[in-house]
Amino acid sequence: MEEILKIEHLEKSFGSNEVLRDIDFSVNKGDVISIIGSSGSGKSTLLRCINMLEEASGGRILYHGQNILDGSVDEDQYRTKVGMVFQSFNLFNNFNVLKNCTVGQTHVLKRSKEEANANAMEFLKKVGMDQYINAKPRQLSGGQKQRVAIARALAMSPEVLLFDEPTSALDPEMVGEVLDVMKDLAKSGMTMLVVTHEMAFARDISTRVVFMADGKIEEEGSPQQIFHNPVSERTKDFLSRFMENS
Amino acid sequence: MTISEMNFFQRMIYIVQEYAPSLAKGAATTMAIAIICTLLGCVIGFAVGLVQTAEPHKKSGIVKRGILKAVKLILTAYVEIFRGTPMMLQAAFIYYGTAQVFGINLGMWSAAIIIVSINTGAYMAETVRGGILSIDPGQREGARAIGMSHFQTMMLVILPQSLRNIMPQIGNNLIINIKDTCVLSIIGTVELFFTFRSISGALYTYFEAATVTMIIYFILTFACSRLLRWIEGRMDGPANFDLATGDTLAFTSGLTRYNEKTGGTF
Ligand SMILES: Nc1ncnc2c1ncn2[C@@H]1O[C@H](COP(=O)(O)OP(=O)(O)OP(=O)(O)O)[C@@H](O)[C@H]1O
Ligand SMILES: [Mg+2]
Repeated sequence: MEEILKIEHLEKSFGSNEVLRDIDFSVNKGDVISIIGSSGSGKSTLLRCINMLEEASGGRILYHGQNILDGSVDEDQYRTKVGMVFQSFNLFNNFNVLKNCTVGQTHVLKRSKEEANANAMEFLKKVGMDQYINAKPRQLSGGQKQRVAIARALAMSPEVLLFDEPTSALDPEMVGEVLDVMKDLAKSGMTMLVVTHEMAFARDISTRVVFMADGKIEEEGSPQQIFHNPVSERTKDFLSRFMENS
Repeated sequence: MTISEMNFFQRMIYIVQEYAPSLAKGAATTMAIAIICTLLGCVIGFAVGLVQTAEPHKKSGIVKRGILKAVKLILTAYVEIFRGTPMMLQAAFIYYGTAQVFGINLGMWSAAIIIVSINTGAYMAETVRGGILSIDPGQREGARAIGMSHFQTMMLVILPQSLRNIMPQIGNNLIINIKDTCVLSIIGTVELFFTFRSISGALYTYFEAATVTMIIYFILTFACSRLLRWIEGRMDGPANFDLATGDTLAFTSGLTRYNEKTGGTF
């Protein structure tokens, strides 16, 4: 199996606050990895380090064997390969839906306008937003914005997509439409790294589940193992609390 | 009928009839300086605001950081000095200063444009800085996350949104400039206020001349503020959007299938 990302001994501190400690795991092509864990355990920080939005304080992140932290990899080119979908969508407010999905293609990947448009339309259709190409983000619902954000990320032809709680900012009735898109993506073979509080998604869709606690990976395994035979007490604790609440 | 026999309205009409060309020329000069200088001021303001909000690159060395810091310091001094002193004195300082110290005679137009632009730029720099800081950091992250460089992020995403947000402030500056060009009369620029002084000096009809000139100023500023509102509306685009229907299919026809090797996904 082709390894896309390998994270070794990753560390991150904000001042004296150690947020990530000795994180080790790898992402292979086709993996759908769910990262779960309680608030403040460092899940977002991990994704942001992988995407280089935060600068890691130690360790290595190997992208196809090349360490992206030693300055030898072009940061912007790397980011086109490792897309990110945010909790708060972060669509460009000054562009309509179509331009949101083409601006990166034309300006970063230097694709022609026609190719970018055609490509954007393909993905907008996949997420069911092709009718809304003329809308500005402010004219869309949260679920619609998030589906456009997914199309925008896909239009860059990434190898891996990182999702940081993509449904947490949504009203409950819109969570489903975004999860459906993500399920389709997972089935189509997209490599995904998803921070989520949607336990059903983690259990049913992912190929692997990572449970984080206090900036460390407490336990990692198949959904079957994590949800039905967790080894660690903390995992058991977290899951039982979660199941009670939901 | 002599001027002294006329009533208030007759005197106003007389002024307009007799001095229409001077008033028109004065108004045109005022508008030309105000518009040109507001635009140049915006350019200066955006340039300065961009530098002021620039963060040193993570990997840039101590020299680059030092240079950036020095440039920021100079720009801060520029902003504070030109915001903190009267434009009338700045005009005298620059106009007579260049003549005396450097032996350069700037000429009325270039002096006027330099002074008002630099002054507007100082105000705009702060406005632009505020405009950039007011944009949700998520916009920057969204742009960086699809691989845009810092420069692309600023030019494509942050500055257009900042520009839209500070349009009311730019309008304010234009209107202030229309009125404040009157201080240029100190260096002999023949703008609308200068015309007023000539008329009132020639006819000794201060009240009427002031009324006529004020009305002209008001028409100019009011027209500008309406025009800017209209531009803002245009920038926002329509309040509603059309759902794209069947024709979008035409749009996608002939699309190339995705290349698996370059990172194709579906
Ligand atoms: N920019 C920052 N500066 C300082 N501390 C930060 C910063 N970002 C995050 N932290 C700290 O890092 C820790 C982990 O934060 P992070 O956002 O990664 O948690 P999380 O697992 O994503 O939580 P949640 O489920 O609430 O999103 C927290 O203690 C947080 O206060
Ligand atoms: Mg988080």
